[in-house]
Amino acid sequence: MQYNIKMCLRTFDPIKLFLFIILLVSATHGFSDAETVRFVNGEGDILDEVEFILHDNNIYLPVETLKSVFDPEMKHSYHTPSKQLTIKTKDKEIKLLMGNPSVTIDAGRQTITLTVPPRIIKGEQKLPISFFEVVLPELDDVRVIYKPELQRVRIMQNTSLPSDSSEINPLWTVIIDPGHGGEDDVGCKSQTGLFEKDVVLSVAKEIETLCKQHGFSIYLTREEDVKKSRQQRFQIANRFETGLYISLHCNASFSQNHKGLRLYLNNPYGSLRFRTAPIPTLGIKNLNIRTQANFLQQSKDFASILQKELNFFAKDPIAISEFPVISLKDVYMPAVLIELGYLSNLEDAARLTNQDHIRELAQTIVRSIQVYSAKVGHTIKSNGATAEESSNPIER
Amino acid sequence: MSKIRKIIHSRLIVTWGITLVTIVIGLAIVLLLIANSKRTVIQDAPPELPNQANPTDMLPSPKDVNIYLLESDGLELTPVRLELRLYAEPTEQLKQILSALVQTTPTNYRNPIPRGTVLNEVYIDTQKTAYLDFSHHLADGQIGGTTAEYMSVTSILRTVFDALPENIKHVQILIDGKEVETLAGHLNISQPLRF
Repeated sequence: MQYNIKMCLRTFDPIKLFLFIILLVSATHGFSDAETVRFVNGEGDILDEVEFILHDNNIYLPVETLKSVFDPEMKHSYHTPSKQLTIKTKDKEIKLLMGNPSVTIDAGRQTITLTVPPRIIKGEQKLPISFFEVVLPELDDVRVIYKPELQRVRIMQNTSLPSDSSEINPLWTVIIDPGHGGEDDVGCKSQTGLFEKDVVLSVAKEIETLCKQHGFSIYLTREEDVKKSRQQRFQIANRFETGLYISLHCNASFSQNHKGLRLYLNNPYGSLRFRTAPIPTLGIKNLNIRTQANFLQQSKDFASILQKELNFFAKDPIAISEFPVISLKDVYMPAVLIELGYLSNLEDAARLTNQDHIRELAQTIVRSIQVYSAKVGHTIKSNGATAEESSNPIER
Repeated sequence: MSKIRKIIHSRLIVTWGITLVTIVIGLAIVLLLIANSKRTVIQDAPPELPNQANPTDMLPSPKDVNIYLLESDGLELTPVRLELRLYAEPTEQLKQILSALVQTTPTNYRNPIPRGTVLNEVYIDTQKTAYLDFSHHLADGQIGGTTAEYMSVTSILRTVFDALPENIKHVQILIDGKEVETLAGHLNISQPLRF
């Protein structure tokens, strides 16, 4: 025995002991393997990252999460015998029963039924993620979107957006350009036989419906599967006095690993540059040379709004590329080309066949239009124009 | 008498002085005119060819050149080194390098230039703009998508600027001898381009 202790002391290595302790601690605490849900605000800033518990394939979060992501002054109490959880925000009181999917707001004034009930898990009251999605918009003027594949919840304030469609300038028109079209120009195609021309048209139609609901004047460069030349598309856009041009496309690459959304701006002096110098303004302020370059800054502003909004669909930040883009060349208003995903990537192609995903994409693009419109002041009627006075330049 | 001599002497000095100054000014004017006329002659002269090397002259030893391709699982173009026995003349060199680009696809790489593309001709003008004339396959073989089109164009541009940075500053892509607006409807290639 004495011999053994001596041997141990002789072979004692402090470094090995330190490593052993580190391993032991990391094993017992699970290191950073704990799964989390990330809460972000409208601008994409992280509000909190919360560890969740998976119960019957449903994500459950602690009640305290409401404090860090929604209302810092939120208070809650739990009555054990009745299993009733009471949550008090600054102006609302919510009552929940553990194991019951019904949520009562302000003493029965409003009742919401969740898809999954709140539960006691490991001795603590836990809220299902659907509570955040469904109940929070009833408590405040917010929109909540949960992306399960990214384990991300986005809580957006609605306050900056025009609430009344009568505030929108009727002369300001959103022009959606679904790329390609017709039998000869299908655009790129997926392995499963999905055509770019069809995907972009379905997204464009969805945007059209939503824009109309929000009171925006909207025009599509093609309403059906027909061929339209670049010049025809430019002519349609340039008949409108003021607005925003969004060209919709699907991407393709030689690498199947390329995936996600991308944004492009027409800048003849971007990452690829023309030889000829930009046209000098010669200090003449009234010289109105109509080029897409005149709208580059506004196009950049809209692209960065789109980037923030669409980043919610991506793990990596969405890139904005600038070079001479032919499909935006002669549009005389702010213009952005959106590549909605790679049809050469199986994951992206599958997503672009999913109607829910298409609807979400359209909603996000319309939300970006609303934010941009509010920012640049097109929501306010200018020069006393009214809906009656303004006539649509194109008879529909 | 000596007074008269002095006067004559001083007048002589003045006369000679004036004569000398006139000659110097005259010479200066003549030289200036010659210089100016030479400059005019230089301006009117036909532009010098970028290189006087004989097209059939070969460089004494093989040269390493990079062609830009996509690794099978990669997302960006990467240089692939080739050892080529090149002509000495830049236009001929460029033909060799671009022909290598359209024809070479090593294992585990993808070539962003569509299969079947042929380099018809190459011209380099005095402003160091290279006009690269490819067959219609470069446009017709596009798979669609901004990324793929951008890769096709930038693979050509990177390969050219990497090989001949001093001789070429801009590149214009032609299809069967004609200027084109675009290869697949996204990227504007109607003018000479650079990075």
